[in-house]
Amino acid sequence: MRKTVFHIFTIADFNEEEEWLRNKHKNGWKLVKMTPPCFYTFEKCEPEDVVYRLDYKNSKRTEDYMMMLQDFGWEYLAECFGWLYFRKGADSVASEQDAELFSDNESRLEMVNHVVKTRFFPLCVLFLCCVLPGLTNTVLDGNGGIVGACFSVAFGILFAIYVVLILYCGAKLRKMKKQISKL
Amino acid sequence: MNDKIRRIYAPMTESGFYILYCLQSPQHGYGISRQVKEMTGGTVTISAGTMYGTLSKMEKDGLIRFHSEEEKRKLYCITDVGREVLEIEIKRIERLYKNSKGEMVNA
Repeated sequence: MRKTVFHIFTIADFNEEEEWLRNKHKNGWKLVKMTPPCFYTFEKCEPEDVVYRLDYKNSKRTEDYMMMLQDFGWEYLAECFGWLYFRKGADSVASEQDAELFSDNESRLEMVNHVVKTRFFPLCVLFLCCVLPGLTNTVLDGNGGIVGACFSVAFGILFAIYVVLILYCGAKLRKMKKQISKL
Repeated sequence: MNDKIRRIYAPMTESGFYILYCLQSPQHGYGISRQVKEMTGGTVTISAGTMYGTLSKMEKDGLIRFHSEEEKRKLYCITDVGREVLEIEIKRIERLYKNSKGEMVNA
């Protein structure tokens, strides 16, 4: 039996996403497929404790990389917007680091920085170059009639979503970076 | 060795040091991780993502180079620049060790 779940995780929620997937597996639902933007397909299975991990590779996924993760005991599951999904049975985890994709703070920090550089910054650029001018243009151009008003509302909603998203992700990624450097 | 390499790799991270040390003979990522686990009695574990990232960075910086391929696994080995970096790091660790025992070090 399969089921598909819609769930939104932002670019700053990958730790929560891993925990969510692990809990799903504990409850007898294993991840089999990801459909962009955020549809998770699960299959009924034996409840098990399985560690889920996400790596952010942003189109640099090579055969060599996949082989190495397999060598380290990681089963590849799916890819979604540059995020790669892996899992490993908790009983086959020999040490704390064995359950992690990254064993030192330098590489942990590098992954977060990579997310900031290739996902968070473009989000800000899109906001400043498209959403913000779009909103001011439609609002200032008061002669648009009913169509113009609809555009203003649409840009207004988009504006609100972007502001919340940027503030939320920005604060969370920053906190994550701080925590890593303090470890 | 240029200043950039010196800035990044002196001092090295623990994972970086072990990886470079092991690559004095050709190895692939998983092989290095097993060797490190063995030589440190399981104290040092290098995870998959850290291993892959460090190897890619070291290759880009010219400390190691591609050696050969074995069943889709890339084998790397140390370069002359890498040897130089490793030597500097070993001297640094020796100094730390001597100083930690209360010994003086002559320049």
